[in-house]
Amino acid sequence: MDEQTKQFIRSVEYSVRTGCLDDSFEQGTSLFLNVQPKHLMTIGNACMMEGAVFDSAFVSSADPAMEEFTLYYLFRAASIGRMLVVSARGSSFDALSETVNAAQWDERKIQDLTGLRLAGIPDSRPLIFHPESGFPAAHPIGGMPYKHPKGTEYPMEGTGEEGEFEVAVGPVHAGIIEPGHFRFHVVGERINKMETRMFYLHRGIEKKAEGQQAASILPLIEQISGDEAVANSVAYCQAVEQALKMTVPKRAEAIRAVLMELERIYSHLADLGGMATDVGFTLPASRFAIWREDFMRLNAAISKSRFLHNQIVVGGVAADIDEAKAARIAALLKKVLETQTLERMAFSSSTFLDRVFQAGTVSKAIAKDLALVGPPARACGMQTDLRLVLPYGAYSHITVNESIEKEGGDVLARFRVKLAEIKESARVAHSLVQHLPPGALREKVPAQKKHPEAVGVGWAEAARGSCTFLVEILPSGAIKRLACRTASFRNWRALEKAVEGNIVPDFPLINKSFNLSYAGTDV
Amino acid sequence: MLLENLRYIFDRRYTDKVSAKSDDPAIREVAQLLKGRSHSPFARSIHVRMVDAGSPNDVELEEGLMMSPRVDAERFGVHFVASPRHADVLLVTGPVAKNMHIALIKTYEAMAEPRAVVAAGDGACFGWEGKDNYALAAGTGKVEDVLHVDVKVPGNPPTPYQLLAGILKAGSVLAKKSEEHHHHKK
Repeated sequence: MDEQTKQFIRSVEYSVRTGCLDDSFEQGTSLFLNVQPKHLMTIGNACMMEGAVFDSAFVSSADPAMEEFTLYYLFRAASIGRMLVVSARGSSFDALSETVNAAQWDERKIQDLTGLRLAGIPDSRPLIFHPESGFPAAHPIGGMPYKHPKGTEYPMEGTGEEGEFEVAVGPVHAGIIEPGHFRFHVVGERINKMETRMFYLHRGIEKKAEGQQAASILPLIEQISGDEAVANSVAYCQAVEQALKMTVPKRAEAIRAVLMELERIYSHLADLGGMATDVGFTLPASRFAIWREDFMRLNAAISKSRFLHNQIVVGGVAADIDEAKAARIAALLKKVLETQTLERMAFSSSTFLDRVFQAGTVSKAIAKDLALVGPPARACGMQTDLRLVLPYGAYSHITVNESIEKEGGDVLARFRVKLAEIKESARVAHSLVQHLPPGALREKVPAQKKHPEAVGVGWAEAARGSCTFLVEILPSGAIKRLACRTASFRNWRALEKAVEGNIVPDFPLINKSFNLSYAGTDV
Repeated sequence: MLLENLRYIFDRRYTDKVSAKSDDPAIREVAQLLKGRSHSPFARSIHVRMVDAGSPNDVELEEGLMMSPRVDAERFGVHFVASPRHADVLLVTGPVAKNMHIALIKTYEAMAEPRAVVAAGDGACFGWEGKDNYALAAGTGKVEDVLHVDVKVPGNPPTPYQLLAGILKAGSVLAKKSEEHHHHKK
């Protein structure tokens, strides 16, 4: 452990008393701190005082006899380049969201999954279960019988202003879009308050993974969110690799990075096209759609899947990028790098600029409060790109220029960030694909029973922002618990803030500028 | 810039040729289906309402690309509509999540007869393995277990042309249903 890390631990420990950490150890670039449940919130807050940013909160599997759980609170500590994993085992906990607003959904999800009640949680409505669809007989994690909360209503309150009325939208929307419910409290066209209700697409993926071999569930991981299949797979594999202390070959790391950049490009092209569509700017929308289809066909040509499925495996990658494939990728990327059409089309229309400028603004204060990730955070000047903040895989060896808009936080800023990221991804992938290091494609998964029960944490920067996975693996190699937090899960609540004060017709545009994945949120 | 844009609008090179000799079997199937439907009342007009009941969003992205200039399903009369009341076809993706069950049934019930249901994607067609996922409708999320399905389009996810072929097949189902409907009336 380096001196800087030791110093960090000392400062955090000092907030309670020296020696209050039961255990601290390094694992890859993660730093695990085990504490007593009563110290969990103090230590969590102390980590944030030291500059760490709240990342996610997860719950472990339960020991049914003991009815005890481990809560994991993850923080990104850029100053020491580590992911902090603060954990405590027990049966009663306080809620971090009492002081850290960003943790609210994470903790509501923990309550629904396990039946634990976190003391002091500001919002205790069920999150993943919908009263009208019925509650399960038992909590999915741990199996405690489900105690039905009173009533079948899910109250959504307005601001109480005179003349305010409600507009309910969804879960089935007008366009080709995923399901979610939006409740607008409006006066005329002005939105006073908007609340989202998600988890219509909750498919129990975390639970389904339990008991399956860690190396065999990548098809399930790809079902979390279709257009983040690669990033989620990489983050998941890195968690498993960290737990099993595996080293990924250099060539595999580089191929993973190329695939992740291709995914970012096609995903961002969809967003930019979507934003253009939503202001009725159809010509560039079609252009972006054409580019996107070209990338989907490139994906199919190099991986037999338009969504780059089945490429990432635990320990490396399943298939090589040979010279022919590399040439094909480089040729299309070169076209993206050389073209000026994308920028010119977007910024040539004053009516387009008028619609996007100062629409759906998120202030930096809100972005910090909700610990936003990805382009919405970068659009208000926050450095959140994990390729730089906590580099992993090939990104530890290459330079990525982060696309940040110092001010703005509006639709235009998010548009600019995504446009710049397309170019930067094309540059990064173009240079990677032409200089793929030689070597093996994957490391073998260690034989069963060679390793003790282990915990691992993995993360990646997906197109929408960072995603984090936590796995507990049994000595048999089977998953004991899988937990994940996608960028969309983290950023949804920012959309609620972004639309405040805007008009209802701008909602689709603002929504599209975030382009969050409903499935990725609901898991 | 203006010239470039004009050329772009009138240039057909961006749109794929749909021919029986294509390398892509899905395009060949579309070409085949288009041939046989000239007398159907749904020959140039199939209105589709989609409901994502549990897909990881990839089928929806492919639906979007089906309407994009490369594939351009509108040239074959396939339109997505905002309301189920305007729709002939319900395109459902899955597996059907328990929390989407009510919304899916309500959407179906809002449609007028004749109507056809297309289950798109492996999740919708086959559900998820295992019998009792607490989060899926009927334990596996198979669309068939909650709605009558007329056409299945498997795939992980199905490509835009596979989706288009499925919708055109639903058009034939609709033609048959509408004939039966009129026959019944007489």
